Amino acid sequence: MERKLQQLFFALSLLALVLILVAEWQASTPSWKPYQRKFLQLEAQEEPNAVSKAAVLATPLAINQVVLPGLQRVDRCTTCHLGVEDPTMKNAPGPFHYHAGLGPHVPSKFGCTICHGGQGLATDMKDAHGNVAFWQTPLLPADYVRASCGRCHKEGDVPGVPELTEGRHLFETEGCHGCHKLNGVGGSIGPDLTEEGANHRSPEWLERHFLAPNAVSPGSAMPNFHFTREQARALTYYMLSLTSGDMGSYYSSERLIPSPEYGRQLFVEKDCIVCHAIGGVGAKVGPDLLGVTKRHSDEWLDEQLVNPELVYPGSSMPKYDLESNARKALVAFLASATPKDAQDILASKGHALTPEDAAIEAGKQDFARFGCAGCHGTELQGGVANPNAQGEQVPSLLHVSDDYTKEEVIGIIRDGRVSPMDNPKGSAPPLYMPSWKNVLSNEDINHIADFLWSKQQKKESW
Amino acid sequence: MKWIREIWQSIVRRDPLSTDKGKSELVFLNVWLHIHPAKVKKENLRFKYSFYLGFITFFLFLILLTTGIALMCYYRPYPPAAYQDMKDLQFAVFMGSFLRNMHRWAAHAMVVCVFLHMCRVFYTGSYKKPRQFNWVVGVMLLLLTLGLSFTGYLLPWDQLAYWAITVGTNIGSYAPLVGGQLRELLLGGHAVGEAALLRFYVLHVAVLPSLVILLTIVHFWRVRKDGGLSRPIWKLKPQKTEALVTIGAPAAVAPLQVTAASKDKTYGLMEVVTGKPIFETVTPEEEKDTVFSYPYAFVREAVALMATVTSIMAISLFFNAPLEEMANPAVTPNPAKAPWYFLGLQELVSHSALLGGVVVPALMVVALILIPYIDRNPSRRPRERKWAIWLFTFFVVANIILIIVGTFFRGPGWAWVPPWVHVVARPE
Repeated sequence: MERKLQQLFFALSLLALVLILVAEWQASTPSWKPYQRKFLQLEAQEEPNAVSKAAVLATPLAINQVVLPGLQRVDRCTTCHLGVEDPTMKNAPGPFHYHAGLGPHVPSKFGCTICHGGQGLATDMKDAHGNVAFWQTPLLPADYVRASCGRCHKEGDVPGVPELTEGRHLFETEGCHGCHKLNGVGGSIGPDLTEEGANHRSPEWLERHFLAPNAVSPGSAMPNFHFTREQARALTYYMLSLTSGDMGSYYSSERLIPSPEYGRQLFVEKDCIVCHAIGGVGAKVGPDLLGVTKRHSDEWLDEQLVNPELVYPGSSMPKYDLESNARKALVAFLASATPKDAQDILASKGHALTPEDAAIEAGKQDFARFGCAGCHGTELQGGVANPNAQGEQVPSLLHVSDDYTKEEVIGIIRDGRVSPMDNPKGSAPPLYMPSWKNVLSNEDINHIADFLWSKQQKKESW
Repeated sequence: MKWIREIWQSIVRRDPLSTDKGKSELVFLNVWLHIHPAKVKKENLRFKYSFYLGFITFFLFLILLTTGIALMCYYRPYPPAAYQDMKDLQFAVFMGSFLRNMHRWAAHAMVVCVFLHMCRVFYTGSYKKPRQFNWVVGVMLLLLTLGLSFTGYLLPWDQLAYWAITVGTNIGSYAPLVGGQLRELLLGGHAVGEAALLRFYVLHVAVLPSLVILLTIVHFWRVRKDGGLSRPIWKLKPQKTEALVTIGAPAAVAPLQVTAASKDKTYGLMEVVTGKPIFETVTPEEEKDTVFSYPYAFVREAVALMATVTSIMAISLFFNAPLEEMANPAVTPNPAKAPWYFLGLQELVSHSALLGGVVVPALMVVALILIPYIDRNPSRRPRERKWAIWLFTFFVVANIILIIVGTFFRGPGWAWVPPWVHVVARPE
């Protein structure tokens, strides 16, 4: 008995030793090493003599990693993809070939996963490419990689990616904000889309969803907008680019570097001249902006552009939902703006502006920004399907003035309306005009009414 | 050669192991080994009496200490670095995942073994006089083990960790009056976050292990002072318990009996007091039933140690410790489950928060602690303590069933979903 126990002890000790050796073997033969050896052989072929060949083959194997604190990631992809930055590897096989057309976006400064997705820290193929349980962002299919440009290029045109511009434009004009929140602005009928690009959603799913929402999410309250295939793809691109993650100043595109020129462009785009004057040239609704950067600190001006209500309670200035770089650009433009600029901008508009124009412009901004267009249509034409509405369609707003006074319309926007019919086929809760009084100020509602009235089509006189 | 022998002698300071004196000196002249008696009862060495569960638990704790210290070299206790360090262990650190696997599986095994050890001690009636308080120490160690496992659960900072701890601490907050505040104290806030991770880390690597070490010392010391393991039931002496008298009993009632010493025995006398010693006494007849700890006890312990180590290593080679996505407070898995050993509690909570989350577990702990003081029946024979055995068996089986139900039979919304039914949660 005692002898047997001693033998058992030694056998178990041996087994422990073997297990440790197996674990060590397992740890010292990771799947990336064969790739590096193959790459060294490829490189050695190019060498002229045996000595330099041997030197290349003797290069120690190591994990390569790009540490990118600005992008909050560490990418080890170049452990196997060794030729991405080497133009001589243009025709190299497998994982080694050169990545053409990167421009300034070299992997050593940007990594790979910011555009391609996948698991940057992983060092074996299956895990790295992210098609494993518990990894949210597997490699994007090649067709959709360009959508990632929008993660940094959040404004303006992205060269070579017209889909992004188109998607962003569709989102703003089709009234998606009416149901979806984006960066804190928008309704709450549909899901918040701020992190849609960071969520685990396959591009194919998104595209099918835009073509027929009910086909992929049964019971969804989202109406079918009858997008074309191209539009659905553009919106998918835009969705994949959405993330609130701050990419760090280094990665901001040149386009977003707060230049006065970009600021001027925004000043024109957002029609600031409709309310403001520069050195007496322009409208008198808001304060004159000549020398405004000398009167106020940068922080104050930034806050004013983020949330005017907070700086001046009761301010009639709308919120514009500008990126931080865009706000900086506007301030940079204002620092150098002269009455001459204002004259040029007014001249390009082609007609003089009145305070009424200012109110209508503000109403138009609100109508688009709060997503009224989502149900009422970009041209106020209505017609979006709603099973709870009379005629199962959202009515047109082009003839509101025939049936209602302006005050009545303001009341409807403020308090909403009870659905006239509860259709069992419809969504729960029934979709109908919500109350906006907690979202919009009275000022905003008045502006929207002004905008509506400016669009009314006169009843044909008979 | 003489001086080598002299140096060796200066280290071991004992007679050769071929002599009985040498064998006993090996034990009591060695600071690590002298927790053992020089001689042990033959019957107590039988595997089928104790299953060496106490030893195995202790060895698992040693594995956890060593792998834990190694893991500390790679771990930063703040998000998101904590999660990145897990990924580094998995993909970049040499043998990192093996190390983490060993720590994880040894931790689960320790929870199981502590529980099994408690069951063994109960069924053999070994918590009875004079060992009542050591049972209480054991229950404390069980609770500390659960605490260690629970605090360690959060450290990987993945979804599994985040939501298990959120659910686990929510169960605790159902306690009336203090529950909410206790949770806040533990988490350093209202929700699991950076502060909670740091607090759990401090508890996991400093506070709780120190307490476990302290109580383990007490636990072992008392086993030794109580004359080693309790005598196997099949070797019980008739009316053995009657002969036991506590220290401080009047000398007239229980006069100190001195048996005649045989020639070749040595006694060390520490202090002369009145009364009989509290621990079990050994008569010369029983003396025949003992063997020297060296090598009989030591070789068995060494086998238990190697069996424990090799099992954990083998499991770690083939099964990876789970690691999900990084913790995300915005995405709640459905259902969010506590660590498996608390799933019985979660199951109870799903029926009644106050009753299941507070009353029942509190009563369970109090009842466990008080067992040796409630059960005053001196007999250790199963035939004479049927009630105690039935009650305890009910407690064990109920716990196991609740944990199995919580683990395998609960799906989204805590609805009854058998494991063979596959449910796909609808994307929002």
